[in-house]
Amino acid sequence: MSYVTLPYPFKPVEAPPEYRGKPVVDPSKCIGCGACANACPPDAIRMEIDEAKGVKRLILDVSRCIRCARCEEVCPMGAVKLSREFELATPRKEDLVTVIELKLFRCRVCGKPTEFTVRQVEKAKSLARYLPKERFEEILESMTLCRDCRRSRYVSKLVEIEIRGYVGSMGGLHA
Amino acid sequence: MRSVWVFHLNTGACNGCDIEILDVLTPYYDAERLGIKLVGSPRHADALLVTGPLTRQTYYAAKAVYEAMPPTPRIVIAVGTCACSGGIFYDSYAVHGGIDKLLPVDMYVPGCPPRPEEIIYGLAQLLGLVEKKVRGETYRDEEHEFRPEAPIVDRLWYDLRQVLTRIVGYFDRETVLNEFVSLVKEAYRRSNPRQALRSLVEEYCAKEEDPRIALAMRLLLNEFETLVDRYRDEGYPVEDLLKGLE
Repeated sequence: MSYVTLPYPFKPVEAPPEYRGKPVVDPSKCIGCGACANACPPDAIRMEIDEAKGVKRLILDVSRCIRCARCEEVCPMGAVKLSREFELATPRKEDLVTVIELKLFRCRVCGKPTEFTVRQVEKAKSLARYLPKERFEEILESMTLCRDCRRSRYVSKLVEIEIRGYVGSMGGLHA
Repeated sequence: MRSVWVFHLNTGACNGCDIEILDVLTPYYDAERLGIKLVGSPRHADALLVTGPLTRQTYYAAKAVYEAMPPTPRIVIAVGTCACSGGIFYDSYAVHGGIDKLLPVDMYVPGCPPRPEEIIYGLAQLLGLVEKKVRGETYRDEEHEFRPEAPIVDRLWYDLRQVLTRIVGYFDRETVLNEFVSLVKEAYRRSNPRQALRSLVEEYCAKEEDPRIALAMRLLLNEFETLVDRYRDEGYPVEDLLKGLE
């Protein structure tokens, strides 16, 4: 072997520590919030909601990734990391796709799948449990509803307050 | 196949991948030792090294180049994220989004741009020298246990990281922050953690030779105290959580 030439591919080489290679999502940490999909400039990470199966899918297509590491920056769980792996060449494009399936949370009133995952609720609970008890219960009550149920709950509360205010202005119920 | 003669075709690349292809031909990487030679005409070429997202302007030129190649083996290698899928330009009106919209591709080499080693790895795979390493995977959440741990402390860590990025940049921030976290852990094992942390940071700064790191540490201390106060005022028992850190 000559003096200057790198003996790659016959001897392995390592990428430098600052190298940004293939993004890797840790499936035991990802909660499916979609922050990475929001931040990804070329939409290499997409979020897909499959209501029929009741799952949310994170689809990472490395063949479109430009290694900007925005996903690593915004991930609230530290689940996405850009590894130093660079040997990605493949004859099949499907080899470059990673899918993570996360179960959708079901509404406690109507039972339909909501747009957030079970893990998102778990994470929110673990954060809110340090709050005062009344606030925690209030948050928990609205957190475990789907969008429609939350809306109807809000409207019924509003109506209740309106009526009380109206009747109050007339001098109370027994006036 | 023993040696592959390649023709370099640019279909609207930003020149990043083109420069990496030039790198592959330098004596340091020396692709010619693998029998890979860059030729000046598609009529002499076995393979096309395609870069760029295939703009509308280059569509017919790329087609003409492919037809000018000898009928066999007509290998197409997509170099770079743009040639693989369109990359950052994938939804632009001016591009078709990847050379596979026009030609059958034999090897995808993603990267923005790919390292010279990545390109060599792709070429070596064509020659049968190395094996493919990546494969598509599907994970389901029931197979992997999820445990949300100390989210407030996590939040604190991310907030401090954000502050630190402004001073030390993206690469060194975690090293500096881990130093600070080790000081915090030590301070919260003592009886008066606030005072202990201040003296620990002062000690650290006195020993540290790099004034930039000393500055970053003082800033972190300041920011940490502000954040802890804020969390405590909102009713989170953040100091108890910090005491429980291992």
